[in-house]
Amino acid sequence: MKSTHRFLKLLLSAVAVLPLGGCEDTISVNLKEGERLVVVEGSITDRPGPYTVRLSTTAPYFSNQPTPRLSGAEVVLSDDRGDREVLTETGPGLYQTHRLQGRVGGKYALTVRVNGEEYEAQTEIRRVPVIDSLRSGFRKATEARDAGYFLTYFGPEPAGGPDFYRVKIFRNDTLLNDPQLDLFFFSDDHIDGNYLNGLELGAGPFRPGDNARVELHGITEETFRYLRELQKQMRNDGLFSSPTANVRTNIRNTRPGGKPATGWFGGSAVRTGTLVIRK
Amino acid sequence: MMRFRTFLLLGFLFIHSKASAQVRHILSGTVRDAATGEVLIGATVQVAGHAIGVTTNAYGFYSLSLPAGPHRLSVTFLGYRSLEQPVSLNTDQKADFSLEAVTQQMEEVTVTAEKPGDRVLNPEMGSTRLSFRTLRAVPAMLGEVDLVRTMQTLPGVTTVGEGSAGFNVRGGNVDQNLLLLDEAPVYNASHLMGFFSVFNPDAVKDVKLMKAGIPARYGGRLSSLMEVRMREGNSKRWAATGGIGTLSSRLLVEGPLVKDRGSVLVAGRRSYSDLVLHLSGNEDLKKNSVYFYDFSAKANYRIGARDQLFLSHYSGRDVFRVDFEGNKLNLRWGNRTGTLRWNHLFSNRLFANLTAVFSDYDYRIYIPAGVQDDAEIEISKGVQGANWTSRIASYNAKADFTFYANARNTVTFGTNFLQYRFDPGRLKAEGDRSTVHEIILPSQHAREYAVYLENEQTFGNKWAAQYGIRLSAFEYLGPGTVVDYPRTPSETGGPSGERRFEKGQVIASYLHPEPRLAVRFSPAAGRSLKASYNRTAQYIHLISPTTAASPLDIWSPSTNNIRPGLADQLSVGYYHTLSRWELSGEVYYKTLQNQIDYRPGAEVKVNPKLEAELLYGRGRSYGLEVYARRHTGRLTGWVSYTLSRSEQQVDGINTNRWYLTKFDRRHMLSIVGTWEAGKRLSVSATFTLNSGTPVTVPNARYEVEGGTISVPINTRNRRNTFRLPSYHRLDLSATWKNRPKPGRRRQAEWVASLYNVYGRRNPFSIYFQQGSNAQATEAVRLSIIGTVLPSLTYNFTF
Repeated sequence: MKSTHRFLKLLLSAVAVLPLGGCEDTISVNLKEGERLVVVEGSITDRPGPYTVRLSTTAPYFSNQPTPRLSGAEVVLSDDRGDREVLTETGPGLYQTHRLQGRVGGKYALTVRVNGEEYEAQTEIRRVPVIDSLRSGFRKATEARDAGYFLTYFGPEPAGGPDFYRVKIFRNDTLLNDPQLDLFFFSDDHIDGNYLNGLELGAGPFRPGDNARVELHGITEETFRYLRELQKQMRNDGLFSSPTANVRTNIRNTRPGGKPATGWFGGSAVRTGTLVIRK
Repeated sequence: MMRFRTFLLLGFLFIHSKASAQVRHILSGTVRDAATGEVLIGATVQVAGHAIGVTTNAYGFYSLSLPAGPHRLSVTFLGYRSLEQPVSLNTDQKADFSLEAVTQQMEEVTVTAEKPGDRVLNPEMGSTRLSFRTLRAVPAMLGEVDLVRTMQTLPGVTTVGEGSAGFNVRGGNVDQNLLLLDEAPVYNASHLMGFFSVFNPDAVKDVKLMKAGIPARYGGRLSSLMEVRMREGNSKRWAATGGIGTLSSRLLVEGPLVKDRGSVLVAGRRSYSDLVLHLSGNEDLKKNSVYFYDFSAKANYRIGARDQLFLSHYSGRDVFRVDFEGNKLNLRWGNRTGTLRWNHLFSNRLFANLTAVFSDYDYRIYIPAGVQDDAEIEISKGVQGANWTSRIASYNAKADFTFYANARNTVTFGTNFLQYRFDPGRLKAEGDRSTVHEIILPSQHAREYAVYLENEQTFGNKWAAQYGIRLSAFEYLGPGTVVDYPRTPSETGGPSGERRFEKGQVIASYLHPEPRLAVRFSPAAGRSLKASYNRTAQYIHLISPTTAASPLDIWSPSTNNIRPGLADQLSVGYYHTLSRWELSGEVYYKTLQNQIDYRPGAEVKVNPKLEAELLYGRGRSYGLEVYARRHTGRLTGWVSYTLSRSEQQVDGINTNRWYLTKFDRRHMLSIVGTWEAGKRLSVSATFTLNSGTPVTVPNARYEVEGGTISVPINTRNRRNTFRLPSYHRLDLSATWKNRPKPGRRRQAEWVASLYNVYGRRNPFSIYFQQGSNAQATEAVRLSIIGTVLPSLTYNFTF
């Protein structure tokens, strides 16, 4: 049973009284093989670069290998003040900037020329509030998480907006990135202008002595929607799952009717908080 | 007003009826169960040996115009001993009949060859009626006799998966079924997310499902009508019925309010797995609990010979409590309905029923501080320490008249008015660690109006028709501030500016004539060919983007953006009644307009811009349904088979092409049988075999987040092109009655049942995920029930 589905588990316990063991199992499915699409993933922040753009392609769903990288592409990043920079390939499919610097309120465009097609994407950098403090507290084990220390967040949320946030949590400089559990993003829809007084940050657990680092990213509404769709696909399981659907992309082929691509280019402003976990 | 209408109708009928000089008289009355005094719905009263006859209405009433002189009347009802009685008509006459129930199926039942059965006699088609007795004979999951689950064994009825709420009829969504419980609409018919339906089986008299040829009397939903009638209660003596089951216990008490003038019935049911869990050693389960309960009550009173009053009530709740570090998330939802009805006989030919109905559905969730994310209820992150509520409420007044004009014409007419209030969502801060401030999505108000007129007419001995029209209208009312959103993803220009409306101002209004027609041709006794066309309009919509409907889904009225759904259905069928069998075959073709689908990643919970997340399209479905039912003898039951297709086309989905709906099933087969093995033992079995659910699967994957997350993708953006493995299941049950003692009322029985006998893991869904890393992708089958579920129930009556 998937750890995030306490309701389903509880429901089944109510129906069957005796817990039903293993109602999920891995099976083999014959899937048709789709065509190869270009995948672009890039980001820009208000902090000094270099910023990285990663080019790869799609692969058969059960290929069991890292997806192929795309080398030899022309990747250009430009902003709304006429600054423009050609990125350098520093590793297979990895392209980096040298000097261009993002700023809050700036608009950015990414152009990728590869395999005879030209792709474009736009984003901007939105505001982000400060992190006042982080605290940690011990939580007992649940179906989803092991026992240990977890973080709570304190800080303001500016009035107005709408604002959208993503929280990235690092344990000893490693991003906690379990696709089902650790994607943490929210909008200020229901909490606009409120002080976030002990917001529970799900990722963990931490042990005493661990270095915790929390990055708060102010993201665009489009990036928020992208993350929401991404998370829906990562949690396509329970009783009330959404139908499987492709996650949105902001990578467009500049030629109408040209071969589509997928992936995301997102800008964000970042504030960081750190904490050493103590007993 | 009333008189004027009758007058008009009489004029209308005059054209159709060859008013003869022959003197005719009216015979009218009520047909009842001899032992309990309950009226019998759909009993046939006819002149023996003739095709002339009527069936009793929902209140057991009939009226028949006959030439003066002697007649032999026969009164028949399935499961009851037929009655033949001579009458001599010299004047209008009242005749009430009481039929005796056949207590043992084994006993010889006199079945006359020309016994028509209402399916052959009526022009009505696509309908199935199941009595309380039939419902009880079908093996039940965990011993819980369930209307909706039994309905799913009928042709043309599907579900999106095990344990999912509601049912789909002939390619229609779950919200396209009008569920009426004693005339009150029920907005969510599910307990425990969808495992069981909200109706307490003990309190149910019968249930009727209509899939085509829906009479003009009913409207407001596109695909079907499921009419549940509660029992009135025993008007002869006090009695109690109950049961102790694996999942829940039931108790019903009924008796005469005033002997033979009125009765009262009170029934309750509660599940108690939460109590069992409290006794278990599992610490984690102890802190959480899940249960449901429901309560039904009904009273009726006859005032003189012409008037009868009925008052019915239903309320039910489901409760989920989930522990988060000592803070309990608390989720409750349920329906409440109340119906007051007044039957009045204006004359022995004009029957009237006036109804006032209240019905609501609401849910409330308390989200404590410190809650962790749960995919099942999709709490927005950041929302902690909040009370979240949502509700739909409706007030309904209707007047329905049946005018038994003459031997060949029965006219029904009436009017219906509904006032709706929708509270899509409110979020209020609770406790000192709340992150939320109050969010109240404004209430939405709407009114639905309808008038209808319909005639059921026989032409000669072979032809009959039911033709009518329903005129329905809807107003979406202020106060409110509305925005017009683009209807397709390709539409440019974005949302319009805001428009403000004052209280009571009409924001959007719709008017739809809904013609209804059904024709019957009977070349010979016991055989008939029927055809029907009907248009239906639907003005309220369940907003449900998930595969299975969730209790947290909200209803929305038709608005300036959401247009009313429209359905047109053509259906043709052949019906044949043999002495022990009832056979039918029907084909249908249905088109649907203004069907709702959702933009990718749509957020529909507490969203003030909900309508921006919707897309609109059309649907079509067609199929063949075959049904054979054996209703007498030691072996009874039915076999149903459906061959069907159900598709949708929505701009912005599946690259604008037609795609299969999630409830499309190519083949569906159900076999339900009950065998009376002895005087005290009966054994039942149900076998179900369905084609798998169409689902969307990826044909590739790609990596994001620097290669740590694998994302499934369908590179051609196609929906529902893959079918899950087919669904099949066998259920068995055995009922062992205690030894009947003459003169003793107390009866008891044990019911043992096995659900999913061979423990098949029928997949509810297959999802795709990464395992230990982004490259280790896998397909996972989710089966809601993966084992055999045994149960034991003790039922009693005294």
